[in-house]
Amino acid sequence: MNLIGISLNHNTAPIEIREALHLSKNEIVELIPKLKEEVYLEGFVLSTCNRTEIFGIPKEPGIDYKDVIGALLEFKPVKGISPDNFLMYFSCGAVKHIFSVATGIDSLIIGDSQILGQVREAFDISEDMDFAGPMLRRLFDNTLKVGKRAIRETLIGEGAVTVSYAAIQVVEKIFANIDRKSALVIGAGETGELAAIHLRDKGVEKISITNRTLARAEELAAKIHSDITPYEYFKEHLHNFDIVISATSSPDFIIDKKDIQAMMKKRRGTPVVLMDIAIPRDIDPEAAKIDNVFYHDIDSLKVIVDQNLNKRKKEIPAVEKIVKDEMVALFSWYNTLDVVPAIRSVRDFFEEIKDDELKKIKHKVTEEDYAKLEDMSRRLIGRLLHNPTIKLKELAESGTDFQKVISYTMILKDLYNLEKIEEDSHKKTA
Amino acid sequence: MLPAIHALNIILPFLYLATFGIYVYDFMNEKAAFSNAKRVFLFVTLLLHVFYLLARTIEFNHPPITNKFEIFTVLAFAIGFSYFLLELLTDVRGTGLFIILFSVLFQIVSSLFIEDLIEVKEILRNRLLGMHVISALLGYSGITISAVYGLLFLILYKEIKLSKFGLIFNRLPSLETLERLSFISLLIGFILLTISITIGIIWLPSAFPNFSYLDPKLLSTGVVWIIYGAGIVTKLSARWYGKKVIMFSLVGFTLAMLSLMLSNIIAESFHSFT
Repeated sequence: MNLIGISLNHNTAPIEIREALHLSKNEIVELIPKLKEEVYLEGFVLSTCNRTEIFGIPKEPGIDYKDVIGALLEFKPVKGISPDNFLMYFSCGAVKHIFSVATGIDSLIIGDSQILGQVREAFDISEDMDFAGPMLRRLFDNTLKVGKRAIRETLIGEGAVTVSYAAIQVVEKIFANIDRKSALVIGAGETGELAAIHLRDKGVEKISITNRTLARAEELAAKIHSDITPYEYFKEHLHNFDIVISATSSPDFIIDKKDIQAMMKKRRGTPVVLMDIAIPRDIDPEAAKIDNVFYHDIDSLKVIVDQNLNKRKKEIPAVEKIVKDEMVALFSWYNTLDVVPAIRSVRDFFEEIKDDELKKIKHKVTEEDYAKLEDMSRRLIGRLLHNPTIKLKELAESGTDFQKVISYTMILKDLYNLEKIEEDSHKKTA
Repeated sequence: MLPAIHALNIILPFLYLATFGIYVYDFMNEKAAFSNAKRVFLFVTLLLHVFYLLARTIEFNHPPITNKFEIFTVLAFAIGFSYFLLELLTDVRGTGLFIILFSVLFQIVSSLFIEDLIEVKEILRNRLLGMHVISALLGYSGITISAVYGLLFLILYKEIKLSKFGLIFNRLPSLETLERLSFISLLIGFILLTISITIGIIWLPSAFPNFSYLDPKLLSTGVVWIIYGAGIVTKLSARWYGKKVIMFSLVGFTLAMLSLMLSNIIAESFHSFT
């Protein structure tokens, strides 16, 4: 398979270069016509914050990786980038890499759940830009299949791998119906926002945001459709919440043990979860000693993250097995592409014999008889070749037994010595 | 029918062991490959156990409640059956091994020592006595299951408090679920004990000439009933949550077992049939 491609990712380039080379959707749309013109017949461009990948079928034999890198850097020059920042792939290696990317085993966070969607988007752009031919379409289908199988058949995407999601996992081990609980998120920064989004995604009934700067709280509240609790009064309302997630940049504790004791008194001892995902910490860890108070800080939550990452690492061999299976399937299909030329060669071979034989008797029979003989031999060849042609085509199109298709094609070529005939005909043409 | 009874007497402990094994395997493995199969296995075991109990009742012409080894096999069934119902009702499937273990132990002891008793006291053939004993056994199964869930609650509570996120954390249901399971089984146990006590109070005076309301077994069961009843009312009216409810269930269970043992061992009672 004449597939070549390049990849720049977290293993080959520092974040500054990855960020600088990152291509937005609009940029990809602009780059594709250039690639079509200079490098590829068909292909795709994938660009995320951690990787930029370009793969495709070259327009002509001489085109290699340097041309692809050249076209990319001409379109988006990046200071300090070098060819060493790129990995280069060809044929089998290229397919294996694309499959590995789609399953998330090549991601910075193993089993990254977003990558399959990003791969799908890259394929969709190619399709829209008329940059996807039959080869790439088949590759897209298999790639998506690999990604889905990895999620369905392995635990590669299981468990929380971010601190904020780990916090939610702990909350779910305490409360049976998280959707009926109320939560307060203190701090509207990046971490607080991520936690609030996870809570919303889990269906938490009532979420409230509090932040020292009211405008930021309002912004986040609007984003996740939640309430706001004024920062000045949030301690007075603590008892109304079953889950409190704190992620501010305050240098001191903003909630001390006395606040928690007062809160528990008002809650009549009903359980509460306090997740302190700030550095330095926001909540006095002494709170953990109070009955029915489940306090966790970033260190304890990181234990869950590390455990889950290790579990995902253990799933890599299972995912690699899926990658291998699907590579075999793709290349088996690819090998059947040889069927159509083989059928054509057999037909040409028979036609040639027919013409030779007819030529020999052309002057020995009347014109009327010759026409009859010509018609008869044409029908004879048609009937003789009908069954093998149809069967071979059907077998190849069904895609169920690639091995059989390959053996049949090879037998056909061997029996009629077609490869030699094709070679001779090429020589004559040359 | 006797050969079938003898065969089942040997097979049942192995069936309970196999069911327990599947539940353990499923608990230890995250992929939960036997999530449905284990339930089917438990169902088949319980079905054969019902057949065994019915066969014994018909063959020996009395319900299998005349001695402790007969009672043990009923207890093994009662615990397994109560758990099965609970699993069906709540769809919480990860805790079976902790409960079925009791069925395994009771059935093994029963199968080893049970005898084919044909001659028993006439009173032991009474249907009301059968209902009285079986509802009491189911009641005790309920409070035993409640205590097991209570214990699991405390273990998970401690693990979460200490940020130990191991197998227990990963495989057990949430604390709220465990609390709910513990309370539901306690409630069912309490209702069945109430039924047993009611039958006893109505029937016992007419069945035993030496009946006394001051009988130690009657008194101890009464005390256990009052403790659980008061606990349930308090939980519902004062809205107790979490650890407090669980501690109550565990203390109630300990008291129930202690009073049962003391009244059986120390005191002389009309309430003994062996």
